[in-house]
Formats: sequence, C-alpha cells, structure tokens
Amino acid sequence: MSRLGQGLRPLVESLIAGLIGLGVGALIMWAWGYNPWPAYRVLFQESFGSTYGLAGALANATPLILTALAFAIGARAGLFIIGAEGMMYMGALAAVAASLPRLPAGLHPLVSLALAALAGLLWGLIPALLRAFRGVHEVISTIMFNWLAHFLAFYLVANVLVDPVRAEKTISVARTARLPLLLRGTDLSLGIGVAVGCALLAYLWLWHTVSGYEVRAAGANPEAARYAGVAPRATVLGVFAVAGALAGLAGAVEAMGRPPTYAVYSGLTNLAGFGFDGIGVAMIGRNHPLGILPAAVFYGGLQAGARLMQMWAKVPFEVVRAVQGVIVLALALPELLRILRRLGLLRRVRRHA
Amino acid sequence: MAPFLLRAERLTKVYPDGTVALHGVDLEVRPGEVLGLLGENGAGKTTLTKILSGLLPPTSGRLLTPAGPVRFHSPKDALRLGIGMVHQHFALVGTFTALENVALGLGGMSLPALRERLEALIAETGLHVPLDVPVEQLAVGERQRVEILKVLARNVNLLILDEPTSVLTPVETAELFKFLRALREKGKAVVFITHKLKEALAITDRIVVLRRGRVAGEVETARTSAAELARLMVGAEAGGRGSSVELATETPAVAREARAAAEPALVVEDLRVRADTGELAVRGLSFALYPGEILGIAGVEGNGQTELVEALCGLRPIESGRVLLLGRPVAGRSPLELYRLGLAHIPEDRWKHGLILSFTVMENAIFGLQRERAFRGPGGLLRRRAALAHAARLVRDFQIQAAGLHAPARSLSGGNQQKLIVGRELAKDPKVIVAAQPTRGLDIGAAQFIRELLLKLREEGRAILLVSADLDEVLALADRVAFMYEGAFVGVARPAELTPEAIGLLMGGVKAGAR
Ligand SMILES: Nc1ncnc2c1ncn2[C@@H]1O[C@H](COP(=O)(O)OP(=O)(O)O)[C@@H](O)[C@H]1O
Ligand SMILES: [Mg+2]
Repeated sequence: MSRLGQGLRPLVESLIAGLIGLGVGALIMWAWGYNPWPAYRVLFQESFGSTYGLAGALANATPLILTALAFAIGARAGLFIIGAEGMMYMGALAAVAASLPRLPAGLHPLVSLALAALAGLLWGLIPALLRAFRGVHEVISTIMFNWLAHFLAFYLVANVLVDPVRAEKTISVARTARLPLLLRGTDLSLGIGVAVGCALLAYLWLWHTVSGYEVRAAGANPEAARYAGVAPRATVLGVFAVAGALAGLAGAVEAMGRPPTYAVYSGLTNLAGFGFDGIGVAMIGRNHPLGILPAAVFYGGLQAGARLMQMWAKVPFEVVRAVQGVIVLALALPELLRILRRLGLLRRVRRHA
Repeated sequence: MAPFLLRAERLTKVYPDGTVALHGVDLEVRPGEVLGLLGENGAGKTTLTKILSGLLPPTSGRLLTPAGPVRFHSPKDALRLGIGMVHQHFALVGTFTALENVALGLGGMSLPALRERLEALIAETGLHVPLDVPVEQLAVGERQRVEILKVLARNVNLLILDEPTSVLTPVETAELFKFLRALREKGKAVVFITHKLKEALAITDRIVVLRRGRVAGEVETARTSAAELARLMVGAEAGGRGSSVELATETPAVAREARAAAEPALVVEDLRVRADTGELAVRGLSFALYPGEILGIAGVEGNGQTELVEALCGLRPIESGRVLLLGRPVAGRSPLELYRLGLAHIPEDRWKHGLILSFTVMENAIFGLQRERAFRGPGGLLRRRAALAHAARLVRDFQIQAAGLHAPARSLSGGNQQKLIVGRELAKDPKVIVAAQPTRGLDIGAAQFIRELLLKLREEGRAILLVSADLDEVLALADRVAFMYEGAFVGVARPAELTPEAIGLLMGGVKAGAR
C-alpha cells in the first residue's frame, strides 16, 4: 500500500459518509414536506459558491480549527480532552484583558495571542496534573473544569472586564490589538492565518518530529511506548499544554478578530459551543490536522448555510438543524466508533488464550 | 447409577480463523470426583470446557449424558442438566451486590426468597460473601465465590472451574480446595482446570492432560508424579529422535574456548523478583551467560520465566540480588538505557511490548531507536529518510513480507511482525540478547528462520538467553539448558546429556540428583 493510498481511504470513507448524510437529510426534508433540492442548492451555493459565502464559512471555521486541533492532539496521545470549551473562554478573556495596556500596533496582537495561549494552557494544568500523577480520568476533570470556567467567565464578563458603557459585553479589544480583516465587509480576519498555521505546525509536530512520534506511540500503545523510552507523565503534561494553548487561541481569535464589537458578550453568547463543536470537527477530520482544515470549513459553511436555508428555501429552523445534525453525525461516525471502542464503551471481540 | 455424569466423544473444535483448538478429544466426568484438566497455555482447556458447558458448539463429536446424546445450544441448556461453569474472566456487574448478581442469572425469583436460599447455601458450603455490598468492592477471591454461588444456586451436579486459582492467594486457594472436597463428599463432580502441577496433585482424583488440543494422557492422581505430569504436558519425547526441530546443535569448539577465556556478558546473582500479585516469582536465581553461547531456560510456563525476563530488561523492579550487564548493574535502569549498554530484548508479548499495530513498518522499524542521532535531526525533527532506509534494510535482510514501508504493522502476518521486531532488535548490534518465546505462534518457515538467526548470532560471539516454552526448541538450540521451577533453577545441563526421563523430572521440579 502506498502512502497516498493510505491517505485516500479515509477521504473516500468520508465522501461516502457525507453522501449518506446528505441523503438521509434529504429524506428528512422530504418527509416533512419540503423540497430538499433547492434547500441544498442554497446551502452550497451561498456557503461555498460565492466569495462572501466562503469568507463567512472560513470565519466560522477559524476558532473551530483551533478547538478541533486541541481535541485531536489529545486523542492522538490517547487522551480525551473535552475541556477546550473552558480553555477557550479563558483565552478569550485573556485576550480582552491584554488590550488594557498600551502597546505598539505590531506587537500588541502577538502579546494578546501569547497571553491567551498561556491562559488556556494554565486552565488545563490541574486536569493535566491530576491525570499524570493521580490517574484521574481527563474526561471527568475537563468537564468539571468547563463548568468552573463557565461561571468564572460569567463573573469576569459581568464584573471585571465589563464595558462601563454597555453592560451586556466586555470592553472591546483595543484597536492596536485587533486582527486585521482580510476582506472588507466580511468577518474573515487574519485569525484564519493563525488557525491554519497552527494546523500545519501540529501536522509537522506529530508526523515529522521525534516528540510527535512519541506522543502518537503513547496514544496507540502506552505500554510499548514506555518500553521504548517515552515518559508517560511528560507526554500527558506536554499534550495538555499544547491543547490548552490551542484552545486559548481559539477564544482569542474570536475576540480579536470578530467585528463589529471585538468583545465577549455576557452569557458568553458569541463563544459558547466552539469547544464542543471542535470535537465534532476533529472527528469529521479524523483527528488529523490536515483533515480538520476542510472539516472545519465545511462545518462553518453548514452553520452559515442554516440561516440561508431557512430564509431562501423556507425550511423551518428545526428541520435545518436536524438535517445538519444528520450530516455531521454521518461524517463523524467512523472516527466516533473508533474512539468509543478505545474508551472500552464498545466491546471489541478479543480472543483469550 | 450410571458410572458417568457427562461424556465427550471425539470432540473437535476449529475456530472461525482456522485454529484447531481440539482434535478428537474424549473425556468422561464421573460423579463424586474432582477431575483435573491440565495443560499449557493454549492447550485447549478453556475451549473444551466451554463446549461441555454449552457456551461453544463443537465442530464435530458429541456429548453424552446417561440418558443419551445431548446437544447444547446455550449455557442454559447445560445448566438445565446440572452442568455449570465458572469462567476465567468473571461476568459480574460491578455496581450490583452479590445478591443482585445471583438474581440476574436466575430470573423470576423474589429477592427475599433468594436471600434465604443463598444464606442456606453459604452456611452449607462455607463460601462466605457479604450479600449486600457492591461486588466491585469485594476482593477477587470473594468475587470468585459469588461466581460459584451463582452456579450453585442452579443446583448443579457438575461444576467446572477454569483456572480458579490463578487469581487467588494461597490462603484463598486452600479455602477453595476445602470447599471442593466438601462438594465431592456430596457426590457432585468438579472439573478443575489448571496449569500448575502441584495443585492438580493436591486436589484431584484423576487428571487428564491436554497437549496441543489432544489428550496426552489420563492418570489416577494417586499413582502419578509431578515428573510424569510435566512430561505429558510438554511432551518429553522431545530432544529424542522425534524432535521436530532439526538444526546443527554442536557448540563449535571456537566458541567454547572463547567462553573459557571471556568474561560473562550477563551475571545474575541471587535475584528475587515479585509478580504482579506481590508474591515472589523469582526466588534467588543465579547464573552467568557467556559471549558465544545460548543459555536456554526451559520449564512449564508460569514458573517465573516472564518475571525474570522483565527484570533483566528493565520492565520490572528487582526485589533483591544483583544483575550485571557487561559489568554494569541493571537495577534501576530503563529499557532504553539497557539497550544503550548493549542489550536487545525480543519480548514475549509482541503486541504489548514489541510493536505498535497502527504504526507503519517504517515507524516500527525505529521504535525505541527514535532518539538516536541517526533518526533524530536538528530541532528534534524526525529523519524520515533515514528511518525509511533503515526500514528498507530490515525488510530486505530479514525477508519481511509487507505491502510497503508505509503499510501498518497490523497488516503483516504474525511471522512477519516477529521478523520486524527481531530485525529491529538485532540492528542495535547488541552484545546480549534476551529472546522470550521468539517463535511462539509462528509458522514453520518463520520459526526456522529465527532459530537459524539465533545460531548465527551465537557464532558471532553474542550472548543469548533463550526462554521458550517449546522444549524441542530449547534442546535444539541451547548450549546449556536450565530448568526453571517455582522461580529457581532445579538443574542446568547440556542437552546431549539429558535423557527424556531426566527432562521429565526436571520439568516437574525434581532437583537433579535428588531422586
Ligand atoms: N475465539 C478464538 N478464536 C480463535 N482461536 C482461539 C479462540 N479461543 C482460543 N483460541 C485458540 O485455541 C487454542 C486453545 O485455546 P484455549 O482453549 O483458550 O487454551 P487454554 O485454555 O488451554 O489456554 C489456542 O491456540 C488459542 O489461541
Ligand atoms: Mg484458558
């Protein structure tokens, strides 16, 4: 089998899964008495067929790429980190706070991004230590930390970083710290560059460095990895740190690159969900950094398209959501099954000697 | 009364993957006896009893009760006829209490009535367990009792226990034996599976020995010995003319002379190592391994061989004693450090320590070597080109059949996976090689290839410790054979000096000269 052949298989699998998802989605619309054809045409033409549509899809994809990477890198190391949501909140608020000091325009965004990454990293520190030294399962601890982050962020938005004029949001990110827009009249900012850059770096790390090799080894067979000299604790801590930094950046690109307000709203309405959606995106992208890129754009387009389907094809929102859900589920299913099996939730028939 | 409870005739079992686990096995279980079923790992004990208890259908052959032939479609059918089995791996719901677990299998009985019944059963059998504690909080021995109660609650006449003592402490084992004797007094029958000779001798009335899916022998316990049982288990015609391994075995004179002059490559002094259970598995072992020789370790599996190898290779802590690898202490060093000192390890469990199935041939070829200068470039970059070249060399030199260097190891056959591991380990240019079960499960061609390789390595002056359950293999390859029994050597000899009788005695733990 050639390398290309190896890479092609998941692609073909995904295409088939996607077609099945679209088919089932069409059936749903048809069953409720709506014509699937114009609905899908609107979805694809508007989301991916026009410059503005595509820019919207890319803007939506920006934070998702980063949260998906956070999950995928954990998964590659055998960790199921579902704490990107909380880490992302912390990153976003750090980025907002970082615009308080005056800094030169060239430097300011870099400082903000660095602080956001650090905030995300620190938010993952306790679950990481618990996992490395006490064996506390990261699924449990990161869920708990998501809730802690949720309420802490609520508090910070309403009481500490609150905009003195408009109490429903935080202060806006300073002009010097904003990520420049790439296309006038859209939401697409330089954040997409940050996200794509991170994906490329993640790919290089995992497949072209020794430490990435060791991370994947630890994920695939921890016992053997330890035997080959991979330190399990260092791996857990390192992977958590990278995942936390990436998730923190996801919050930052959203706060620093999303016009018009460049802020976090009370109730976290403009942030909530990116961390969890990232898990879905990671699974559609097979937990591979390069698979995540198209997966996130597709997912982002689907989100933008939902409104359009409702508007132009007159399909009610609930049905659109059901159709979306079916498509995403179909795409994520192959990887989802693999992960459930790894977690031991699905029994693999094993022979015993 | 019929002289038997259950009879199996010419049972053959072929698993869907083509493994022939049983080969025309006959077996009879009589009332009021404890029948021992003895055999090495993979002999087919579990398979046989799964058929007796209705869990598996035989491929051919039949089961008979005094009332005539029967056919079981599920364990329920067997239970209806009073045949119940406790499996090696328990099937309990951890969050349920003992009472609830028993109720699960019974169905239909009210809990208070069941409690009464169980309490009576516990009083009668002495199998004490708390009924109202979630079973996940119970000790393993107690959980086993719950499993036994589960079966007894069905009024069985024949109780089958698959390696029940493998999870028990010595005290728990003694209690279990007491219970089994009481059961026998009541005229019930027990089939007791084990691969430990001592236990078979202690508790059974009759022993059937299985070997590679066939009945190797049937003996009255009162009239047998550990030596005879060991011989039956491993087939001590080995080493004689019937040997299935044919290789030149003469130690070249050069090598022998070299040894006399050389320093030992590996020295083990009074080594003690604990098993996972905390018990001593290696008890005061001493030996020296010289360059240019193969020291074979034979013995029935489970006598401390695995723990010995793991301790030598840095995978298990050394309790006490000394191990010197080329003059340097092994204790406290990681596998990686030991490899740098000149040790290679062909692990017993290929999938656990040997390779990563989802990794490619290339990735596995550098496994454990990934931090070497050759594969780790500036900035920690992986030198993929060097790794590819290395993998290509292994594939060529060791004749590994693979669909390519980027094919996952999973897609290779067992023999080719093993060649990949062996090749990689040997590419480390080691001075000392610890080979644990290097040919287990391989086809004849691959096994032969690896055996010839070991001989070639010996010629090159490397020191090889060969641990193998395959007695033929050890006798054919080794310059000296040590027999391991309960964590110690009972004898060390040159293969040519060993008679089949002596081998049988040594395998059974009878010290050389202590007859
Ligand atoms: N489900 C299975 N599928 C294929 N082969 C199996 C299966 N279960 C056991 N075997 C094989 O059958 C042989 C006998 O196994 P088993 O009955 O478990 O032996 P024992 O209990 O004596 O250790 C072994 O070679 C084992 O690998
Ligand atoms: Mg068994």
